[in-house]
Amino acid sequence: MSVSRRLATIALVGRQNAGKTSLLMHLTGRTQHPVNFPGSSVERSEAVAKVADGHLRIVDLPGITSLEALSPDEEVALGWLRGGAATTSEKEGGDGPDAICAVVDAAKLGVELGLVVQLARLGKPIIVALTKVDVAGVTIDVAALARELGVSVVPVNALTGAGAQVLLTRLSAEVSTPTASAPRLAPVDLDVLVKAVTTPIVGERPALTDRIDAVLLHRVFGLPILALLVFGIFQTLFVGAEPMMGLIEDGQSALGGWIASLVPEGALQSFLVDGLVNGVGSVLVFLPQIILLMLFVSLLEASGYMARAAFLLDRVLSKVGLSGRSFVPMVSSFACAVPAVLATRMIDNERERLATIAVLPLMSCSARLPVYVVLIGAFFPSSQAGIVLFSLYGLGIVVAALVAWILRRTKLRGSHAILMMELPVYQRPLFRVVKNQVWAASREFLVTAGTVIMATAVLIWVLSYYPRPAAIHERHAAERTTLVAELATLAAGLPARAEVEALLADVDTRERAAYLEQSFLAEAGKAIQPVFAPAGFDWRTTVGVLAAFPARELVIPTLGILYSVGDVDPGEFDIASLDGAEAHRNEGLAGRLRAAKQEDGSPAWTSLSALSVMVFFALCSQCMATLGAIKRETRSWRWPLFVFTYMTSLAWVMAVLVYQIGSALGFGGGS
Amino acid sequence: MLLENKSQFWLKDTDMVENAYDAATGTPLDRERAGASLRVVSVEGDDAIARRLIDLGFRPNTEVRVERVAPLGDPIQFRLHGYRLALRKSEARRVLVMAR
Repeated sequence: MSVSRRLATIALVGRQNAGKTSLLMHLTGRTQHPVNFPGSSVERSEAVAKVADGHLRIVDLPGITSLEALSPDEEVALGWLRGGAATTSEKEGGDGPDAICAVVDAAKLGVELGLVVQLARLGKPIIVALTKVDVAGVTIDVAALARELGVSVVPVNALTGAGAQVLLTRLSAEVSTPTASAPRLAPVDLDVLVKAVTTPIVGERPALTDRIDAVLLHRVFGLPILALLVFGIFQTLFVGAEPMMGLIEDGQSALGGWIASLVPEGALQSFLVDGLVNGVGSVLVFLPQIILLMLFVSLLEASGYMARAAFLLDRVLSKVGLSGRSFVPMVSSFACAVPAVLATRMIDNERERLATIAVLPLMSCSARLPVYVVLIGAFFPSSQAGIVLFSLYGLGIVVAALVAWILRRTKLRGSHAILMMELPVYQRPLFRVVKNQVWAASREFLVTAGTVIMATAVLIWVLSYYPRPAAIHERHAAERTTLVAELATLAAGLPARAEVEALLADVDTRERAAYLEQSFLAEAGKAIQPVFAPAGFDWRTTVGVLAAFPARELVIPTLGILYSVGDVDPGEFDIASLDGAEAHRNEGLAGRLRAAKQEDGSPAWTSLSALSVMVFFALCSQCMATLGAIKRETRSWRWPLFVFTYMTSLAWVMAVLVYQIGSALGFGGGS
Repeated sequence: MLLENKSQFWLKDTDMVENAYDAATGTPLDRERAGASLRVVSVEGDDAIARRLIDLGFRPNTEVRVERVAPLGDPIQFRLHGYRLALRKSEARRVLVMAR
């Protein structure tokens, strides 16, 4: 921190849903910075609040139910809470709080005050912030409560921020004269205390929350409503993000074209256009989906519905050692694993969260679809297309369940998934909270895109661009000169002229292919091909697989170049191209793949090898953006490395199994 | 009723709670059906989960209502101390209850 000495520190402590996050925002009036507890991935957010005589550092701890930890991450937060202010180390987060602000939900005094009593035993000054007084359904005698507890009780409205200033003043006074309120909580019976200070509001209608739950958690309709909601979100992710994604792609090609017009043809131009602009663009294109998904996830969480979804589906996910809380990230991952990884923040159990993150990339994301579409279209009759596509999605789900099951019994064993989850009162999401969450997720994604992913894109570009032997250029330049000369002899409008023009374009494509074929990347592909031979990949497919490690959809343009059909824009492939107008675009690549021969004259691709390639793509970790997100979320390289290793090995094993078993059964012949 | 027994159990260790309620038997909370209004007798065991259940409000004499069972049969939604809590059957069975 830039401040020379430490600021007086207040810990915001309370159970989940008590309103801590909103309260912190009202106390400090600014965006909080998520900070890690040293040496762990447990997060707290903190911010500095201005008070009359200086500043207060306010730290929002993760929700706490009791001072006894059930999980390692709870222990981290509790350890900090117990730490003495006197033993402060200047190291970030090494200190403990000077005072505690216990955030208490007025509707649940009977259970919340139990935590206050436990906190009092820490021997630090305590102030109680009483939230949700207006929706508690009872009237509370605040003065009596303060008297009985022996500490200050300040009613605050976490939504409007009313009372936040009073609370700040009291907190500030508390830390400047700490002796003033050594908590003198006498052993009182909580039930008696609650009875003494609350008066039920008579004649109140059944709470709105109960009426909503009667529908949303209905024995028959609950699950269909959830399915409909998820379907709607999923559809919006695909459809709603499309125009924005189109804009980004257009902007990317416009920028590329503009640079190409300024910079002379050559290494620099290719680096800027193919390396930088394309590399960053292929990542940026996910931003609209990320913003939309984080918006939905944040709204679901803030409104209180997320806990209901977890309640409805917990049974299914408990079978593999996860809980209902993993559901939304899992579904999101069918669109894109990157926001899904960010969405796992809502899972409070760290091991469960890690297990979820580890299996999320197995869900077939939207970037796998172009690969499936091209290969199914080329090698499977349309009558089988649906079942093959469905099986590939199913494969991801089944493998994810197995991996989660194994992880929860090995590396991530321990704290067996317990569901002790409050179903909070429904409320209107606070705009600023939602906005902050969406912004934080987007910003982190952009930072990753700007660093790790760009570096990888540049590396792949270098490997695919170099070396550039002059012989290739001279051979094609000569061809071009001949064709241009021929073109000059032909009058405009002649059919022969169009033919020559096509030949001319073909020279460019073949030149690119010739360069690529002897590039470092191709050399690597040929060297590595024996590894993929048991899976039925030829060297060009192997190069495609290698080029696809930064982003799996890169395989389409790479195969396009290697099989010499010119540039194929991965953006052209979507569900719509499974049929109808755009189908002919795919025919080029699909046709070439079917016609391609290996050196010995046998077909390079069969329906079996296509299936093997698709299985590989279904399971392989080929997305730098996802690995980057996992790194950011787990704060270590261990998890992205683990995910990359297990997925890639699994993909190879499964592809080999498919190809070998298929060959043994006699499916290996023609297509 | 709820407030007649002014025990100070919440300050004591759970084994004392158990001793105090040894005589009283109850049925496990996971066996109760939706709509049942119940009173907590005790929480079985004195491990971290038992203590957490107590911290969540399952103190002796606490009123608990079974609100609903999830469509797939687990978990169960309870209402106690004015809030709504979901527990899996595996944890709910640690709470022993009596009809109110």
